Amino acid sequence: MFGTTKIKLDSGLVERIRKFSEIAGYSSPEEFITHALEKELALLEDTEDEEEIKKRLQGLGYMS
Amino acid sequence: MTTTEQTTSPARVWLVLVLLAAAVGAPGVADAYIGPGAGFAVLGSFAVLFVTMILAGISILAWPFRTLWRMVRRRRRSKPLVKRTIFVGFDGQDARITERMMAEGKLPNFSRLAERGCYRRLRTTFPSITPVAWSSFSTGTNPGRHNIFDFLDRDPRTYLPRLSSAHIGSVEKFLKLGKLRIPLKKPDIRLLRKSKPWWTILGEHNIWSTVIRVPITFPPDRFYGAQLGAMCIPDLLGTQGTFMLFTTRPDDEAFQEGGVRVTLSPNGSPSTYEAKVTGPENAFFEGNPPMELPLVVDVDRAAGSARVSINGSTAEVRTGELSDWVKLDFPAIPGMKVGGLTRLMLTEVDDNVSLYMSPINIEPGKPAMPISHPSYYSSYLEKKIGPFATLGLAEDTWALNEKVTDDGTFWNQTQGIDAEREQMLDIALDTLRSGALVTVFDATDRVNHMYWRYIEDGHPAAAGIEEPAFADAIERQYIRNDEIVGRVLDRINDDDVLFVLSDHGCTSFRRGVNLNAWLLREGYLTLKEDADGSEPWLQSVDWSKTRAYAVGLVGIFLNVRGREAHGIVEPGDDTAALKAEIAGKLKGLVDAETGDVAINEAFDTDTLYRGPYKGNAPDLLMGYNHGYRISWDCASGVVAGAVFTDNVKAWSGDHIVDPRLVPGIMLCNREVSSDDPHITDMAPTVLTLFGIRPAAHMDGKPILGKESL
Repeated sequence: MFGTTKIKLDSGLVERIRKFSEIAGYSSPEEFITHALEKELALLEDTEDEEEIKKRLQGLGYMS
Repeated sequence: MTTTEQTTSPARVWLVLVLLAAAVGAPGVADAYIGPGAGFAVLGSFAVLFVTMILAGISILAWPFRTLWRMVRRRRRSKPLVKRTIFVGFDGQDARITERMMAEGKLPNFSRLAERGCYRRLRTTFPSITPVAWSSFSTGTNPGRHNIFDFLDRDPRTYLPRLSSAHIGSVEKFLKLGKLRIPLKKPDIRLLRKSKPWWTILGEHNIWSTVIRVPITFPPDRFYGAQLGAMCIPDLLGTQGTFMLFTTRPDDEAFQEGGVRVTLSPNGSPSTYEAKVTGPENAFFEGNPPMELPLVVDVDRAAGSARVSINGSTAEVRTGELSDWVKLDFPAIPGMKVGGLTRLMLTEVDDNVSLYMSPINIEPGKPAMPISHPSYYSSYLEKKIGPFATLGLAEDTWALNEKVTDDGTFWNQTQGIDAEREQMLDIALDTLRSGALVTVFDATDRVNHMYWRYIEDGHPAAAGIEEPAFADAIERQYIRNDEIVGRVLDRINDDDVLFVLSDHGCTSFRRGVNLNAWLLREGYLTLKEDADGSEPWLQSVDWSKTRAYAVGLVGIFLNVRGREAHGIVEPGDDTAALKAEIAGKLKGLVDAETGDVAINEAFDTDTLYRGPYKGNAPDLLMGYNHGYRISWDCASGVVAGAVFTDNVKAWSGDHIVDPRLVPGIMLCNREVSSDDPHITDMAPTVLTLFGIRPAAHMDGKPILGKESL
């Protein structure tokens, strides 16, 4: 209900994530993990309906 | 104007109780989805209010325990150098105009602030546009680390544009009760701005922040503080602002793109007309039919006025005068309504009758989507100041572009919203005992965009307009900003730190550049056989033969194999070589018609950005010269037509240009340590002021510390 879920990860993996996330410019290890998972999900999820996209952009002042 | 549906039959009462039980028990609070295609699926306005009240009560009762928990849990301790840090943002305030007016003595409070502390030009982001710049302000990072490069992103699977800052998903799980569908799961609504805003970091150290209308805060962040979201909160239809024009004018009369035209039909007498107001799509029913409200207009031609009745409630409107906020309650299902706010204006009432309805804003008192944190903060503000605009881009620039409204109406609308904003700032100043406060005013940016044509001789958008009444609109806005600064200066304490800043400046937009037409001409983009390129959204493009394309407002993408769905350019050396080739041709590109340089430079974003998200950026970022910007056609994905065209729309000034040409401003009541600050410096600076070491991932540097306090 409040937007987050706990997942258990191997502590060695977490340590590697913690080290890499700072080097790569993430604000936190959580951000790095989220980004990695989102990239994978983007390959699997369906694309949005074209008409929905067009309607949603309607009214944005920069565009006709 | 409100109306309440009567539900009297036992079956309906039982249905409402069941729905209420399901709504209260279902996951998510005050979360709804508004959007074309998947409709409006909400827990219900009553349930939202009910649950919101419960949460507010729990929040108040739990406050002592949460405060104690935060104190115990706090991992890092800080020693604040100040009690309060206040940011007042004027989106789009241009450095050159500000400096000239200060020198002329027209901005005495800006001058007072500069004398007390300092004035600097503030370097902006690449690109120099609102969502990117404010995201860098918020996080202290370059776009490669916060993932916002434009208003729009493109989906590499479809090449279609999408909003870059927020994902609004659909409700996918329903409980079917006959013809009804009850949502069982909240929709996925995500902020796509990455990294971590400074107010979240302050909150981790138990320092409160109030964040009012900073762009790219929808859905709102969750932190120790309060936030009213801004760009890109949608309107009630789920768009970025769709106005309606109810009119008796025949369909074959010219009405340009943008907004929705609704026919007003005579209703039995020569002075009464009727229509339907279309609201959000209703996902409670299969097929998502739109919610509607009946509208009746009774005109008084002699008086130039009309009585507008919408679902039983009435408002008096006059020709050329914008009404106050009018509340609309769309019926979703019996016992449940969806609330919105709009403003009305008669534009003509003679042979023809036309009624303008502004985009329908989400009602702040009972918002149908998460527009604030905590969720009841917008309700709190509504109780304090009355109804206010919630739409991300609230000022209706499109209605002015389309000449449905006029300069005076747009000015009044913008000033009304500006006044609401100042009321919010006043409340926050009064209630903030310690911590940080940021309030962003949008009016300057909108006024720059829409009235720039009047401050430049020979602007094509001002052709034929003699002695415009709003020739001094931009100066008037800057003077108002100065008055706001004066009032803030009079109210802050000596030990407060005050920053006044803008995210970018503004310049002329006289000529549009259709990058896709140029790419077609140069052989980098190919159309499908028999296509003429006039279709929007790049639908005419043959991807199997296209090496580069432009989507969004700021740049060019290469059609890379393995990245784009139909990519043909090999990644690695081929991509780099093609990028260099295109950039070389665009550098110094001349508009043959005027002889002016249109593009100063095309920047390789691979070298421009640092961070894990830089791969999402356009491959080449355009640095347009003064007077030039992406054309309206190109922004909509139309390939056909000339590369260069005159811009004749009221939207006549812009800042999507070479960022080096449009810096913002920064004033502070202390001397800062940098002569050339960047907008990314703001976040590390505010952290330093509260005794927190800026995070390693931040690109900016603190410019104010102990030595200046």
